[in-house]
Amino acid sequence: MTISDISHRKRYLAEGNVYLPHIAVIEKIIDETPAVKTFHFNFKDEKLRKEFTFESGQFGEYSILGTGEATFCISSSPTRRDDLECAVARVGRVTNALHRLGVGAEIGFRGPFGNSFPLDYMAGKNLVFVAGGIGLAPLHSLIWNVLDNRAKYGNIDIVYGARTPRDLCFKYDLEAWEKDSSVNMTTTVDREAPDWQGNVGFVPAVTEKVAPAAKNAVAIVCGPPIMIRFTFPVLEKLGFTPAQMITTLEKRMKCGIGKCGRCNIGEIYVCRDGPGFSYEQIKSFRSDEY
Amino acid sequence: MKKIKKQNAARLLEKWQKEFTVFVPSKASGVAQMAVWDGQDLAFLEHNRNTVIPPKANFLPSIQKMFGFRKEEGGYVLEPTDEDPPKQLLFGIHPCDARAIAIIDMVFKDAYEDRYYLSRRQNTVLVGMACTSPYDNCFCTSLGFGPADATDVDIMLTDIGDSFLIEEITDKGKEVLAGAKDVMAATPADEKKARAVKESAKARVSTKIDTDEIGKRLPLVFDDRKFWEEISAKCVSCGICTFLCPTCYCFDINDEMLRDGSGARYRNWDCCSFAVYTKMPTENPREDKWRRVRQKVYHKYAFYPELFGIIGCTGCGRCIRQCPVNWDITQTLNSLPAGTPTKKQETQKSS
Repeated sequence: MTISDISHRKRYLAEGNVYLPHIAVIEKIIDETPAVKTFHFNFKDEKLRKEFTFESGQFGEYSILGTGEATFCISSSPTRRDDLECAVARVGRVTNALHRLGVGAEIGFRGPFGNSFPLDYMAGKNLVFVAGGIGLAPLHSLIWNVLDNRAKYGNIDIVYGARTPRDLCFKYDLEAWEKDSSVNMTTTVDREAPDWQGNVGFVPAVTEKVAPAAKNAVAIVCGPPIMIRFTFPVLEKLGFTPAQMITTLEKRMKCGIGKCGRCNIGEIYVCRDGPGFSYEQIKSFRSDEY
Repeated sequence: MKKIKKQNAARLLEKWQKEFTVFVPSKASGVAQMAVWDGQDLAFLEHNRNTVIPPKANFLPSIQKMFGFRKEEGGYVLEPTDEDPPKQLLFGIHPCDARAIAIIDMVFKDAYEDRYYLSRRQNTVLVGMACTSPYDNCFCTSLGFGPADATDVDIMLTDIGDSFLIEEITDKGKEVLAGAKDVMAATPADEKKARAVKESAKARVSTKIDTDEIGKRLPLVFDDRKFWEEISAKCVSCGICTFLCPTCYCFDINDEMLRDGSGARYRNWDCCSFAVYTKMPTENPREDKWRRVRQKVYHKYAFYPELFGIIGCTGCGRCIRQCPVNWDITQTLNSLPAGTPTKKQETQKSS
């Protein structure tokens, strides 16, 4: 795979001032874990609601007006367009403010920004999704995208883990994927827990046990940096080449469009050139600041 | 070419004032910067020295309201600002600062247009002044231009004693000069004088860097942590080199609320010298100072050339003159070790 293969990019839809957020209304809130909520929202503007398009892997700049903006991926699939979703962990000022909002509250949205997962490259291949914690959010969009076009892809493995059973996100979808006979679903938690009958162990170790075949496969790995760092070598051991591994990088961002400066890794701007990169690309980065 | 007698320059500025907000180099507020001409002060006509605050502030203000918002019964209402900023004419900007504007234009035009910046750019006429008094730490001649380069302005003026020689560079420049009564044709003697003034200024730019050699060495010393730790040891991360750099454009975005429940979003200059600039809740890729200093040098001299084909520095020397601990980018660049390619660089080269 060449580097450009992952750089599919949909341009910002609206003309004019790219810094003006679109107002959207929160329609539903799901408590995923004690620290994570999924917000379902829709644009107020009827026309935008119809015309807005995005691809799995892209992100937005979400505003709580008066508090500020923060960057999250769109965690719903473009194949399911009743609303848009973002799963948000409560970690900072803006995310805390967002967690305090209720149904009916208004947020601002700018986007979609960034590149998307390379669906064309993935077509016809076996797919291995590896995720940890809130890292399932971008993959949640991609997995539903793939499952809604199931015939286009080969075998599907999903390995998902969290620290405790309570920290598993999208439990309702984990169940659905578990029941789907065309998916090989493995859920794990870091340590033994009461009432937990499933796998126990860290995501990289469990991935090694699941041992997906590398031939004609693509692995998409999202999660905390430490998990990613330990999963790539496991996949390499299983025969995956760096070009067969894809991840998304996380950086502090403000503008989302390659201008404000802070998300660079050398000459790469994660908001503009990413956030999706193959491990092959990452290995070629001059800088280790990722 | 044309010229105007210095004693008539005020009349030209008055003519421009009718159409534009005219900015001139001024010390009125304490720090030399481009300030709105008061119609009286003409000291800047004789004081040919660069401002401390660069004219980037006329396009990317240090703080700028992006939009206002208020909550009504039907929900939030956004109040866009600045769609059509007033027309401005910058008088007396030096070639290095004009080049700097051309350099950051590339960022604000790239991929997504930045309306706040570009609307100001489009509404601006740049009247350059050939620099006749470079500082000891200016090094513009090492960066492919010089103190009298007219490439990036609409009109170029050169001080030839009792007059300014006028070069009309762009159509915009010609337009704003049309009908100016005091503008006369320049004589061959005037032009000769201007050439001598320019040559003399160029000869006085004494600090030099070798950009070819730097271009060769930078890729090799990126991972030389020891070198960057030594280079950055005295830096106090105050950010002055960034804030006064004419090509530093990074910004932050923040919201402010008023008591009545309305608010506004602002953007303001930000700075890669600050650790908080890249700080995330759980980690920070540039927590270490040596990484931040390295970022500054590489952004100008390696990343910018790779992205836009031009070095992101104009050699204006502000970062050297204003640094409280005498950090000097030319010394850093001139002291880059020859370096040895890392394993990664070797494999990249061979593949």
